[in-house]
Amino acid sequence: MKFVTKKPPIVTNGEHTYKRSLNLHIALIIAALAAVILNGFYTYPDVTLFTSGLEQSFKVFSMIAIASVISVVIELFYALSEGNTSKFSSYKGFVDPINTGILIALLLPINAPIFVLALAVFVGVYIGKIVFGGYGFYIFNPALVGALFAFSAFGAGHLASDIVTPLETLKLAITTNTTFELQSVLPLIIGNYQSISIGSTSVAVLGLLFAYLCVTKVIDLRISGTYLLTVLVMSLGIGFIIFGFGEMALGYVLINIVTGLAVFGAVFFISETVSTPTSRETKLIYAVTVAILMMVFRTLSSNVEGLIYAVLFGNMITPFLNRTVKHSNKKALLKTLVGITIAVVGVTFIIGFMLKGQIEESSINAIVVTLGGIL
Amino acid sequence: MINEYKSYLEPKFVYLPLTDPTYKIANVKVEEGDAVLVGTVLGYKYKGQIKLPVISSVSGTVKGFEELQDRFGKTVDHCVIENNMEDNQIELKAFENASTSQVRARLLELGLEQINVDGIFTPLKFDRPIKHVVVNASFTNEPFLKTDYLFVNEYAEHIAQGIELLKVAANAETVTVIADKDMEPFAFNSLGEAIVDKDMRLETVKLQKVNGSDVKVISKLIKKPVSPDLLSDGVLYVKVDTAKIVYDAVVLGKVSNSRQVAITGDGIKENVIYEVVVGTKLSEIVSDLGGYNEVDEMVLHYGSFTTGNQLTTDETSITLNVDTINFQEYIELEEDVCTKCGECNDVCPVGILPQNIMDAEMRNVNERIVDLDTGACIECGLCTYTCPSNINVLEWVRRAKRRVG
Repeated sequence: MKFVTKKPPIVTNGEHTYKRSLNLHIALIIAALAAVILNGFYTYPDVTLFTSGLEQSFKVFSMIAIASVISVVIELFYALSEGNTSKFSSYKGFVDPINTGILIALLLPINAPIFVLALAVFVGVYIGKIVFGGYGFYIFNPALVGALFAFSAFGAGHLASDIVTPLETLKLAITTNTTFELQSVLPLIIGNYQSISIGSTSVAVLGLLFAYLCVTKVIDLRISGTYLLTVLVMSLGIGFIIFGFGEMALGYVLINIVTGLAVFGAVFFISETVSTPTSRETKLIYAVTVAILMMVFRTLSSNVEGLIYAVLFGNMITPFLNRTVKHSNKKALLKTLVGITIAVVGVTFIIGFMLKGQIEESSINAIVVTLGGIL
Repeated sequence: MINEYKSYLEPKFVYLPLTDPTYKIANVKVEEGDAVLVGTVLGYKYKGQIKLPVISSVSGTVKGFEELQDRFGKTVDHCVIENNMEDNQIELKAFENASTSQVRARLLELGLEQINVDGIFTPLKFDRPIKHVVVNASFTNEPFLKTDYLFVNEYAEHIAQGIELLKVAANAETVTVIADKDMEPFAFNSLGEAIVDKDMRLETVKLQKVNGSDVKVISKLIKKPVSPDLLSDGVLYVKVDTAKIVYDAVVLGKVSNSRQVAITGDGIKENVIYEVVVGTKLSEIVSDLGGYNEVDEMVLHYGSFTTGNQLTTDETSITLNVDTINFQEYIELEEDVCTKCGECNDVCPVGILPQNIMDAEMRNVNERIVDLDTGACIECGLCTYTCPSNINVLEWVRRAKRRVG
């Protein structure tokens, strides 16, 4: 027996990164299973690719399986080229590549061709992750990088052209100033509607996964919770400004929160630790920034979802946010809370009135010119 | 919690270090063959002009001097004394109502300044104005609760009086006793009864959850984040056993020549609280315990888990400033990459950002290290404790501190 001084025998609090990856892995497998099952029940009226629900389920399953395999293979090839494959000696090495693969597959629509999926996984895993040094070092969420590539490169021709989501209907109704028919709530909750991404349908399943991942500390409630709260407050404000108090306003909130990638993002993307800020105050700022950007994209741009751009933009400003903070104390927290509240309320009013047509483009220009003059 | 109690009060030889990292130069006053009593000054250790006595913990004969590793991992000269088992002590006057100068003089006389060396506990030094005396009655030390509640229960009155003496010595305005909410009721009641009629504030915190709650209590007291040197904040922070030692030294006129040490870990046969004579060799205590378990590599950790020292030998002596010793089989704990979860930033009791400091240190950005107020780190080790990737965050912060001075 000999005495060594390699590392202090600090008994940690029992939390382990791998345990968290594994919990995320379990959650993703559940989300994938839910996607396979739910897509089997729903018929896409305009997608002529499939003849039965079973075919749809099989397509979803094959997308998830292929994405996972490609992701693992890319990482394995990279490890081989580096001459160090030891991390693949146990299942631990496979968890993260599989997670990224599943996430990219879940982000794409059901009619995505397999070659698009393969390219998305390649871009996400190689360019989004490996180029930066792998897990723990990337600055953009790899899954979102892959999905963004797929949507921007193939969006018009191959992806989602036949899928009409509730958000799209809502957006069309607001821009053309027509009324939209509010769907019943239950299908939206259980996920029986057209969705842009195969994984984002059932808010009930996602809600359960959200709770599970919060308890297991995989996601930080301060980020995901603040993000969801901001989306809720903003959609509530915008809804009331556009439609006034009533059912339509609540419908606006419901569609913004329940459908689309809002909750899916809160569960799997917003709180992804590697590409998000590290301190309490910056986490709050990040969450609110992502929520505001998403609502801006949803309401003012041609983009229907906006989450992918918003989170990637949030990732982009993360190093800057990390640099701005020196201390994490009550004073800094208070300042942050006041700042983000003002930002949320301000942006909500601006978007709301812009959509309602009360703020004309010319008056915004006038404000900008005035501000420019003052500065 | 350990419920096993043992004592080892008759070592044949004791080994007393003549220097420590603060007082580095020794001036020996005894020679081989000299007869000594408990409390005899063996020599003085110096830091510049300031000196502290090294006193004998047994009565007997000086057998010589030997180089041994001390509790800080440095090889220093130790005075070896053969114990005649008579426990004869030098004459010390007992004070009923000691004045400030009497208490200070007694603590100095018995060399008790360096009694606390782990964590943010402060030495018994009175060279700066002290406003608050804070006493921790429950100090958690993973994986076991270190504080011996039977000790608190038995000596509650002595502890309370010891705390009062510390207040007198420091001329402090307030006294705060920090106790665990989950403390055994019998010990809690005894302590409460002992301090209820004295001008002391009892603060209960949940210490089972290791999150630097004592630092938060002190922070609230001084109305600002604590600094690495609590004495400069006007705070004297000690444990209950220190209060008891002060009581013994002043009121009873007794030299503290033994102390309780929690010896734990999976490397030894039994986990116990040992009462041992100061200067006893650790290897003798281990033999008394039945030896080591069969392991290839062992980590020997002296003092607090997060802030103590690792030694490369058990041929070292027990000093008055060690209360925990851990023997643990070395298990290769794989360090995962930092996932930037920010838990170390959340848990830091002084509100600095260990993750960002570690990042700056890895990238060699001195300006950022200074900018992040790295010097404010009190080295409590909570960042390492909480890291889910098993990264020794504290070590990175220490490196950053050293880099910028």
